[in-house]
Amino acid sequence: MAGHTGGLSARMSKGRAAGAALPEGSPNDDARTAFWLVAPALALYAVFTLLPIAATFWLSFNSSAGFNTSASFVGVGNYAKAAQDPIVWKSLVHTFAWLAYHVVMAGGLGLLLALAVSRLRITQVFFRTAFFLPHLVSLAVVGVIWANIYDPFFGLLNTALTQIGLGAFTQGWLSDPALVLFSVNVASSWQGFGLYMLLFIAGLQNIDHSLYDAAEVDGANAFQKLIYVTLPGLREVMTFVISLAMINGLKGFATVFVMTNGGPFYQSELITTYIYRLAFQSQDHGLAAVLCILLSLLAIVITIVFNRWRARLSQ
Amino acid sequence: MSVRNREWPVVLALTPVLILILAPFVWLVISSFKTEAEIGRADPFTWPADLMWRNYLDAWQIGGFGELVGNSLINLVGVVLLSLITCAPAGYALAKIRFPGREWLFYAFILGLTVPVQAIVIPLYQVLFGLNLVNTLAGIVLVQVSNGIPFGIFLMRSFFIGVPDDLIEAAKIDGASHFQILTKVFLPISTPAVQALVIISALSTWNDFFLPLIVLISPEVQTLPLGLVRFASTYASDYRLVFSGTVISFLPIILLYILMQRRFTEGLTQGAIKG
Repeated sequence: MAGHTGGLSARMSKGRAAGAALPEGSPNDDARTAFWLVAPALALYAVFTLLPIAATFWLSFNSSAGFNTSASFVGVGNYAKAAQDPIVWKSLVHTFAWLAYHVVMAGGLGLLLALAVSRLRITQVFFRTAFFLPHLVSLAVVGVIWANIYDPFFGLLNTALTQIGLGAFTQGWLSDPALVLFSVNVASSWQGFGLYMLLFIAGLQNIDHSLYDAAEVDGANAFQKLIYVTLPGLREVMTFVISLAMINGLKGFATVFVMTNGGPFYQSELITTYIYRLAFQSQDHGLAAVLCILLSLLAIVITIVFNRWRARLSQ
Repeated sequence: MSVRNREWPVVLALTPVLILILAPFVWLVISSFKTEAEIGRADPFTWPADLMWRNYLDAWQIGGFGELVGNSLINLVGVVLLSLITCAPAGYALAKIRFPGREWLFYAFILGLTVPVQAIVIPLYQVLFGLNLVNTLAGIVLVQVSNGIPFGIFLMRSFFIGVPDDLIEAAKIDGASHFQILTKVFLPISTPAVQALVIISALSTWNDFFLPLIVLISPEVQTLPLGLVRFASTYASDYRLVFSGTVISFLPIILLYILMQRRFTEGLTQGAIKG
């Protein structure tokens, strides 16, 4: 121990002596400058992100009945409780379904519209701008808008269906337990697809145009060019959009909270909305913390899987 | 294949899609000018007999939208400025200075990029409570900046990595410090990255709902999305108020986007690809 400390101080004084002899920009000076450049960001990040991450871990092994009560250690008790809570399982299943809906609807629409819009020359800016408009609206405001669209009596959807003679398709879009998660996701995807479309358009612009010329020389038709040139050229953007859509989907909260608050009968409860309910309404912090860990793990796994996939593609 | 030949069929195919996607906006704007009776008659796209500007006046006054917009603006300016001040230097240090612990810092910031803010909300609230920041705009600014720091640092860092080291060497020979190199050499040539950071942090701050929901409890400090949700649930049965209030909430940002669409588009795609 003493030897170790001695070695460290010797190294430090040696560094100081060398620093005095060297011109500006020695490793020692650099380290000090780097520290001051990173310090403001690191301080904020440590207090409001790193510390809470660590504390969430700690909390998941403790039980606490509210913000003003002291916690007691319960080991894996909260994890056992979570495994037995049917709403935890429901919210997990709903979250996976929610991600799948979002990737297919928002990602799919983004891709289709990008393919179409990128063919335009004169009107491209107009269509791109117009299709992007929903993305500018806050998801909470989207929730208010779509709650009114789905309103069974005054809502746009049911009245429009009735007017065009499809009255048979009118529904209680948010009151039907089998439909509610999908209905809310339509609203989220309506808001989300615009960004994915922009990313796909950027990806399409990066495809080497000579590949199309070569395909044309070989006698490829439009469909073959799509399959053999365009889609392979988009592979990297596609993995990126899918991972972004999944992470965005995982953070989904506002539309559900505003439109259904997880109901009816927990049929639109997501992990995020259940965390909020447990933490701020029923004040079961231990159980909420377990769900927080679960949510983080999902996010980390998704990120790692897609980064690996992306790295393999770009080799 | 001439440009002419392939433009108009695509336009024709896209027009119905465009109408479907924009229908919610058109419907809301039209409905927001109707009387309660006209809304009840259930013909969604019929033009109102008289434009009820009163609806907007009522919603603005009853909903306290002036205050909400003001709070949202303070929140936005605070987050954008503080994000730039913290992320640009940190991004520079991580990109261009070799120092012990750099790798570790890098991984610590990756962690924040991945973990959703909902997953740390309980201790986050406790930290804010301990610092007396619950229910203050300062509190919401600090947590949103912290939430955006991982992305902001990566954006700036990956842009700065692309700047040749020769520029630093040359500036050092002229006796410049790292801080001077950052402010006088790097930032002036980093317009695309700065633009991306400003647009992305501004948009996400303006539209954030989850953090304000946790932090901002009293109506006087709330931001626009939070205030609208409170307003819409209080006056749920008064459709004309809800509609005009909703239009007030999205119209300014949409007009701003239409005016600056190229910058927005560049900033968002640059940000997404670099981040």
